[in-house]
Amino acid sequence: MNPRSLTAVSACVLSLATGGALLAQSADDKDTITVPKREFQQLLEEHRQMMQEMKALKAQIGKTATLEKSVADNDTAIEDLEKQIKETKQIAKDAAQGSTKFHLGGYGSATYTAQDNGGANGFAATFNPIFLWKINDKVFFEGEAEFELGGTETSTALEMAHISYIANDYLTVSAGKFLNPANYFVERQHMAWVNKLPDKPLAVYDGLMPETEVGFQARGAVPVGPFKIGYAAYVANAPQLKTDLSSPADLGSLEYNNFDNVGRHISTGGRVGIHLLPEFEIGYGAQYADVAPVGYGHSVKSFLQSVDASYVRDSIALKGVLNAKVQWVWSHIDRFDYDPAGGLGDGFDRAMKRNGGYAQIAYRPTHCDMAFVKNVEFVFRYDLIQQANTPVGVDERRSTVGLDYWIGPSTVVKTAYEFDHQSGANASRHNTLLIQLATGF
Amino acid sequence: MQSIERTLSNLAKVLLPVLAFGLVVGCTTPKAKAPAGKSTTAAAPQGATLWAQNCGFCHNSRSPDSLGNAQWDVVTVHMRLRANLTADDARQISAFLRSSH
Repeated sequence: MNPRSLTAVSACVLSLATGGALLAQSADDKDTITVPKREFQQLLEEHRQMMQEMKALKAQIGKTATLEKSVADNDTAIEDLEKQIKETKQIAKDAAQGSTKFHLGGYGSATYTAQDNGGANGFAATFNPIFLWKINDKVFFEGEAEFELGGTETSTALEMAHISYIANDYLTVSAGKFLNPANYFVERQHMAWVNKLPDKPLAVYDGLMPETEVGFQARGAVPVGPFKIGYAAYVANAPQLKTDLSSPADLGSLEYNNFDNVGRHISTGGRVGIHLLPEFEIGYGAQYADVAPVGYGHSVKSFLQSVDASYVRDSIALKGVLNAKVQWVWSHIDRFDYDPAGGLGDGFDRAMKRNGGYAQIAYRPTHCDMAFVKNVEFVFRYDLIQQANTPVGVDERRSTVGLDYWIGPSTVVKTAYEFDHQSGANASRHNTLLIQLATGF
Repeated sequence: MQSIERTLSNLAKVLLPVLAFGLVVGCTTPKAKAPAGKSTTAAAPQGATLWAQNCGFCHNSRSPDSLGNAQWDVVTVHMRLRANLTADDARQISAFLRSSH
């Protein structure tokens, strides 16, 4: 055996001996693993590298989260900016002069009238443009012109033109020519597309109370508990007492379009209205003035009063809208001798008392399923004026049935038939058929 | 005296039936109750209801989109003054009309 062979045999024996010892040791302690140092160092290096990579990954994730948050913040900021730009544009648009603070509205109508007993028969048309300017949050202007075609002539009038200053939530003061706030029908109902019948009721319109006033008014609304109270008070040119002996029937009545203030008097008046329920309002209006002719030497007082009530209910049970309105007016003018020389006979040295009004009820089945039926409105009105004991010499009562068809919210075709009854020295009865197309815009 | 009697008689014929009708219907109408946990102020009619109530009291209500915001701003002031709306009602109606566009 050569030395090299001997060395190999010795190594094998040694290896077997060592392996047997290790196996014996493993059998004794299974939780302990013996790894060569080199392999251990390699594993340690790999672990170190993995830890570094993990740290780098964590850092990357942190950066990504920050970036995402930043992007979200930027989106919010952009949205805020866009909102601000939109608001600024709207403010700039609203603040611009001209059309943005101006509104042109109004109404127009065409009416056919046919009366029996030789009364009126023919067409008429009206056009009332309304100009509204919101000068700023405090100052507001309203103007309305009236063009009325009747017969062969077109009449024009300035229906109203007044500027208002909104002092606060409860007070607005106005100056100019304005609709008479004491007269409910005139202020709220007389517009052709609002009034449910083709013509206007006796006594309250072109009758016993003025339609417009020229002067100053203060008005507003105050919530009081469950109620809402609206008020208006005004001072204006007083009406002119008619004393022209060449028109005996007009003696003792009042000329309301007294724009020159012929009598040099001032009238005071106003109205208080209370909404007892959202759908029910009652009101009282009055006007007081001295109407004595210039140089008469004594006062001649006129006292005009009005009470009104309005009830409007949109009822599911009734399948529609019920609209009831009533107004009554009184006119009292102190005693005055219209005919001192007695040329017209007796009865012209007296106080003048007139009264009249209307009650109207309308029903529109807006909750009906049939489109045609829900646009139909049934109207009935009873109106009267009592002035038989004045130079006019007539009491008049009318019962009117009407049928309206609403083409749109503010466009309507109205048909009505009036049964007229008059009594007194100058009575002349005329039943009337009325057809009207009216629109508001 | 006869004139006064006749006036009162006519007034009664005209006024009383409508007032009686309004009172009867109004009194028999159940009032809306405030939702539990909310004040009556919070449960009060808001813009849309006020718009329907106040406009419809005198005339048919036009569609909110029939005019733009700037135009409604002008018309709302006009109607606040004409119909004696409270300022708060007018503001809520205006907000409703703006939100409808």
